[in-house]
Amino acid sequence: MASLSEEVLLVVKRVRQRKQDGTLYLMAERIAWGPEGKDRFTVSHLYADIRCQKISPDGKAKIQLQLILHTGESTTFHFSNGSTALKDRDATKELLQQLLPKFKKKANKELEEKNRMLQEDPVLFQLYKDLVVSQVISAEEFWANRLSLNTVEHSLSNNSKQEVGISAAFLADIRPQTDGCNGLRYNLTSDIIESIFRTYPTVKQKYAENVPHNLTEKEFWTRFFQSHYFHRDRISTGQQDIFSECAKQDEKGLNSMVTQGVKNPMVDLLSLEDKTLDEGYGTATVPTTSNSSNKSLRENSNSAIIKRFNHHSAMVLAAGLRKAEAPSDQASETSSTDGNSRDSDFFQLPLKKVKLQESIEYDDLQGDSGRKTIALNLKKSDRYSHGPIPLQSQHYTTSQDIINSISIIQHEMRNYKPRLTQVMSSNAASSAITALSPGGLLMQGGAQQTINQLVPTDVQIELKHLYTAAGELLRHFWSCFPVNTPFLEDKLMGHLEEMLQAAYSKFQVWQTRRMMRKT
Amino acid sequence: MKLNIEGLLVYFPYDYIYPEQYSYMLELKRTLDAKGHGVLEMPSGTGKTISLLSLIVAYQKAYPLEVTKLVYCSRTVPEIEKVVEELRKLMDYYAKQTGVKNDFLALALSSRKNLCIHPEVSSLRFGKEVDGKCHSLTASYIRAQHHSNPCQPVCQFFEEFDAVGRQVPIPPGIFNLDDLKDFGRRKGWCPYFLARYAILHANIVVYSYHYLLDPKIADLVSKELAKKSVVVFDEAHNIDNVCIDSMSVNITRRTLDRCQTNVETLQNTISRIKETDAAKLREEYMRLVEGLKEANVARETDIYLSNPVLPDEILQEAVPGSIRTAEHFVGFIKRFLEYLKARLRIHHVVQESAPQFLKDIYEKVCIDRKPLRFCAERLRSLLRTLEIADIADFSAITLISHFATLVSTYSKGFTIIIEPFEDRTPTIANPVLHFSCMDPSIAIKPVFGRFQSVIITSGTLSPLDIYPRILDFRPVTMASFTMTLARTCLCPLIVGRGNDQVAMTSKFETREDFAVIRNYGNLLLEMSAIVPDGIVAFFTSYIYMENIVASWYEQGILENIQRNKLIFIETQDAAETSMALEKYQEACENGRGAILLSVARGKVSEGIDFVHHFGRAVIMFGVPYVYTQSRILKARLEYLRDQFQIRENDFLTFDAMRHAAQCVGRAIRGKTDYGLMIFADKRYARADKRGKLPRWIQEHLTDGSLNLTIDETVQLSKHFLRQMAQPFRREDQLGLSLLTLEQLQSEDMLQKIAQIAQQA
Repeated sequence: MASLSEEVLLVVKRVRQRKQDGTLYLMAERIAWGPEGKDRFTVSHLYADIRCQKISPDGKAKIQLQLILHTGESTTFHFSNGSTALKDRDATKELLQQLLPKFKKKANKELEEKNRMLQEDPVLFQLYKDLVVSQVISAEEFWANRLSLNTVEHSLSNNSKQEVGISAAFLADIRPQTDGCNGLRYNLTSDIIESIFRTYPTVKQKYAENVPHNLTEKEFWTRFFQSHYFHRDRISTGQQDIFSECAKQDEKGLNSMVTQGVKNPMVDLLSLEDKTLDEGYGTATVPTTSNSSNKSLRENSNSAIIKRFNHHSAMVLAAGLRKAEAPSDQASETSSTDGNSRDSDFFQLPLKKVKLQESIEYDDLQGDSGRKTIALNLKKSDRYSHGPIPLQSQHYTTSQDIINSISIIQHEMRNYKPRLTQVMSSNAASSAITALSPGGLLMQGGAQQTINQLVPTDVQIELKHLYTAAGELLRHFWSCFPVNTPFLEDKLMGHLEEMLQAAYSKFQVWQTRRMMRKT
Repeated sequence: MKLNIEGLLVYFPYDYIYPEQYSYMLELKRTLDAKGHGVLEMPSGTGKTISLLSLIVAYQKAYPLEVTKLVYCSRTVPEIEKVVEELRKLMDYYAKQTGVKNDFLALALSSRKNLCIHPEVSSLRFGKEVDGKCHSLTASYIRAQHHSNPCQPVCQFFEEFDAVGRQVPIPPGIFNLDDLKDFGRRKGWCPYFLARYAILHANIVVYSYHYLLDPKIADLVSKELAKKSVVVFDEAHNIDNVCIDSMSVNITRRTLDRCQTNVETLQNTISRIKETDAAKLREEYMRLVEGLKEANVARETDIYLSNPVLPDEILQEAVPGSIRTAEHFVGFIKRFLEYLKARLRIHHVVQESAPQFLKDIYEKVCIDRKPLRFCAERLRSLLRTLEIADIADFSAITLISHFATLVSTYSKGFTIIIEPFEDRTPTIANPVLHFSCMDPSIAIKPVFGRFQSVIITSGTLSPLDIYPRILDFRPVTMASFTMTLARTCLCPLIVGRGNDQVAMTSKFETREDFAVIRNYGNLLLEMSAIVPDGIVAFFTSYIYMENIVASWYEQGILENIQRNKLIFIETQDAAETSMALEKYQEACENGRGAILLSVARGKVSEGIDFVHHFGRAVIMFGVPYVYTQSRILKARLEYLRDQFQIRENDFLTFDAMRHAAQCVGRAIRGKTDYGLMIFADKRYARADKRGKLPRWIQEHLTDGSLNLTIDETVQLSKHFLRQMAQPFRREDQLGLSLLTLEQLQSEDMLQKIAQIAQQA
């Protein structure tokens, strides 16, 4: 079996599956189980196929681990090695925990991407059927230069799927449960962890720094939930806390956001008042001694909560937006982590003008002329503005010309007055009409049957498919030139020829069939 | 369209018009014809500003001799800029229709901070810094020094303006703040001084209240405005507070300490000058002997706005001899300062009237009333003579001198309260002397007396009759306009109970009640689940909001709300709140939806609009009464009762309801907009509260929506939102709440319009 060449990461003996004792193997790319005494695996899952793992609660008598696949099936392993069962299970769990995410991302992304492309593009789907399903070329080869080609296009096109934002209440979803002996338990799912990481990049950074060298994952999260950072309403106790730095960074980010000010001048409360009263005037009592000393602890913690909510909401909002703009500018990552990427002052003025105009507009008082139009969104704008290029003639009519001529025609139509004295005689007119109707003197040529009426539709479709398939193969063929790598040479020498051969034979089959049908 | 308003041709820059706009213009026209004052209430979002501008500009064009200038006062900088943009639209329309080039000059005036183009000065962040820096570059003696010593830095923009700017009038046109800056940059002139100079001959001036109401600024900026001007106070529902604020003074121990340093600086400067340039001081002395005659001359010609800090009779007299020399004056101030220090060393609260204070000061330190009255003028003269560069440094002594002048000038309408500590922290000594104005009519009186027409207008001025009473003037028109609606796009609901039937109220006795807080939380939670996009919730005070947020947090209510929407909260820091506000809008914009927790009477409730999806529901938690335990307020209430026969409770309710109306009114900005207005307090259902809401809100408050539970509120809201989500086209409005010119001219429409205005 191929497993011999695979690297075995962990072997766990005495694991039961379906009431059968056996051994569990964790390998580089898959997890497998074989019943005792047999040298083949009855259960084997690629890590990429596994959606998640579940374990039985600590108190349970049976120590189990369940794998749930993307297909929805599940497999349960029961660790039955007496005293070490729990340790075995945890070791397996830990290892899986590290392995699964690696495969998950890659496999899922690719699969999804391929699936999406096939679904969205019927031509591609047909091509796939023709070439891959009929084994003219392998699936990898088919995708090899498709995928890269498509991701570029994909990022350009607007029909990409919308990024799912983060629920603002993700921290609330982690409900602590008492475990019965003065402890608290938090249930973390990978979704929540991802939410935390996306919202608080500083925590992610801490995680990368500390796990797994300094802390285990469990310890890390335990500390997280104990930290002042998580319970922001508690005043910092000053103990050594790896998250105190996060809090500081957040504070810094918040402050920088505040000092940057706001882009929209209409909501800038600082410049709202034109002329504030000088110090000492006015009836409002002057907050002269508003230092923290005369604020109670409770008031401090209240304002900390308020700050926290503002910050949290801003971060959640920023996390949603960050994803959207991430591919376009990696460079601005640093500036956008604080949730506010600021345009330069240069754009300030037009923005202000726009906002002002917006705020004084009464769209119902306005006549129709001011109706807003929806901007035309073109995938390939050059295609739109040029169209197919004629070979000889270089003369273009600009859109202005077209508009002009249309308006001229409209104008002429409006001013058209039939000159009844100069019309044709009715005889001449009716003979001209007969000459121009089908079957008439001047319409002889039009009666010819076109090719699409001669050939039956199924043949046409098949021809079309073959044509595209051949085109695809030729594309593969030509993309091998210039032959500059051994791989390309190999491809060219080896199976491309084979492929073309296969295709040709397919064509031959079709042609003979066609001939047979004809005769 | 072109309208005929009782014989006046009015250009209106839109193709359609709201019926109430027409009605509003009619009333306005009558006010102008009568050359009297007016109080007009029209809901926000019905195009009040453009109606005002269209009519007054038309009036100015038709009767250029009757109305020479329009002075439009608004409250915030964005509001000012909006007005100018609307004006630009109107003028463009004029130019297009008549084909004549616009010959009007209209401009906005704002503080130096918004107009400065000096690269160094304009980069400063705070208005005070900008003013101080500007002064240190443009003061007359600085410029004189510059002549002899070219190294002395001056502002080249001001120099340029001073050299040529006054001769060449600014061309006709509409100048917003940015346009002024552009113009200034092109010419190399200082836009601020250019604008201040240009308002004298401009046809339309748009600036903030302070330039007219604050005597300290009005004296500098607005004193030469022509009598035949029309003054408009827009968003005037808080005008009494602006008046009071501009006349009140607070003195703390810190002020006195800083004043002490100021006095020392003055002393040193005087002795130095005496050695080098004694003639200068002698010259000043002579000038003071001459008296303030110059100022008097100007006043008699009725060009100057009277300054309440500078009363009439003072002008006839010379500065009293006891403070005429510089040293004597400084000694005088020192004595006054020591007296104030002694007064602040108290352990119990003292409240007294101005005459009592004067009597006491005469007995203790032998300071007479007369020299006190001249304090402000005398100090101004001294500072000018001594060539003090940075006036900002002398704010403390200026404050003290203003206090001296005010306290000795007005025997009525003011009260002095000395508190040894703040109420909340009785252990920390922090003595404050409040010299507080109780009569808003003092500050606004010169405005009413001086200009032929003053229009007070806002979306919420109910009850109308209270404003003429507290501002002490007699209007010729008082009218409240309703919003004609093709669909009821506002839905006021009064929630009085939770689902557990516990009464919901922010009444002092029950506001900390666990059940009340929980019910408030449940209301917000339920609403967050059904209202799309943005919800704004207002609390009665900042401290109350902090407490509620904390207990919601403990109860897990906020977490549940977060499942539906993001939460942003107003803080006491304006910059932080701006950021939260922007994020809130961003969240509404991108479809996430958000909740903004805010405070009535706060900056957000006063200056920020929540149009369309930025505010689909406003929840007012509790009745926003002012903090009634404050002694200043108590004194004011007493004064109102004695002088104007306004009962304490009436005033408090009026004040609370105008703020509540302001808060909920933030959500509706036009007829295509829609929003829920939820009053979460059972006290709103009472007739005395309900009756003080603006008419356009009251109208839609049915008996069925007076004492709802949370569940009922949710049901009604769902129904309302579903209805509002249906497409709403122009055809639906046309003929009902939106008129074409032909429709406007029909007979029965005119009759209907006549009913829109309700005369008070």
